[in-house]
Amino acid sequence: MNDEVGGKQRRARFQALCQSLRPDLLRFAFWLSRDRALAEDVVQESMLRAWKAQDSLLDETAAKPWLLTIIRREYARTFERKRFPTVSVDELIAKEEPMLAAAEEQNIGDIRDALMKLPDEYREPLILQVLMGYSTAEIARELDLSGPAVLTRLYRARQQLRAACGEDLSRDPQE
Amino acid sequence: MMDHARYRSAIMADPHDADDELLAHRESCAECRAFTEQLLRFEARLERALLVDIPTQAVVLPFARSGKAAQGARRWMAMAASLLLALVIAAGVWLTLPQRGLAADVVAHMAGEPDAWQRTDVPVPDADLNAVLKDSKLRLKPDAGMVSYASSCSFRGHKVPHLVVQTQSGPVTVMVLVHEAVRNPKKFDEQGYRGTIVPVPGHGSIAVLMRDHESGSGDVERIAARVDASIVWTR
Repeated sequence: MNDEVGGKQRRARFQALCQSLRPDLLRFAFWLSRDRALAEDVVQESMLRAWKAQDSLLDETAAKPWLLTIIRREYARTFERKRFPTVSVDELIAKEEPMLAAAEEQNIGDIRDALMKLPDEYREPLILQVLMGYSTAEIARELDLSGPAVLTRLYRARQQLRAACGEDLSRDPQE
Repeated sequence: MMDHARYRSAIMADPHDADDELLAHRESCAECRAFTEQLLRFEARLERALLVDIPTQAVVLPFARSGKAAQGARRWMAMAASLLLALVIAAGVWLTLPQRGLAADVVAHMAGEPDAWQRTDVPVPDADLNAVLKDSKLRLKPDAGMVSYASSCSFRGHKVPHLVVQTQSGPVTVMVLVHEAVRNPKKFDEQGYRGTIVPVPGHGSIAVLMRDHESGSGDVERIAARVDASIVWTR
């Protein structure tokens, strides 16, 4: 009886935790995959894995990075399980147009297009830094990179985005 | 000695880097200051660009059931969810009210820090409080009330001060959202929390909220006005 009550409480607690982090997790998965439907699937499957592995979460305040790591691994696993057809970035942008165009401000549409085209190796650390608030050391740990490598990727990510958006790069340092 | 190239490389990797050497160079170099301002304007657009709207319907949260039956059920649930998603997309029902999203995100943030809600008469050490406030370029007047919790929290891609002020009505959470501009005060009552998000011209907004059972009518607005009045912006 007590086990049943305890189980329900754990479930409710876990559900509340997932719901509270849902916007961040979905946005992270979306920018990782650049595909809304795939992002939903990855988050869904990640929740399953998280529920099964919840004993490994010792500190609930660390739930978000813990779940983000699960999502990254689940996303990588998706490609191990099945081979996706090659899709051009322009097709991806067209497919996700409703989501990308939902912004009230027109001047962020070009950045979203540029983000969609940014190589994974630059996009991922940038999302972790700007969207998730990770420090350089946290990104390095998550992506298994050195600190200088993370900084280089972040630098190149911004340089490519700014170039794609027509920003003035004349004062940029030469690498 | 910091030179222009090293400064610009560092600031392009992290435009919010508050390293002393970087700050000192920026103070002394007008060109690099202009470069930083241009970069920060782009960064603000980038931050907004990453906040794509997300579907309003809940993710179906799966729970552990064993065996093939569970896998089959999950597959059906996933298919049903996908169908529902397709219908919702077809109907064009997306979250389009940013202010509602902001309130929901503020409430969601509360779930991660349950310990902050304790009633206590022990203030947070001044050094800790000042460290949290310094990053957002503000300080509190002494009449703000006793702050029992102060943390620099990640919220929508920014570090923001998350404070708990002890009041006669109970603990009140304050989040200073310098990156979240709102046009008008926005009241909310969600998931056991009652609160308001008030605009602070030139400095984004402040979210003030209490747990439902501790808030009386008008408490939140009154406290929000008091907190707003007790903030001194240092930039």
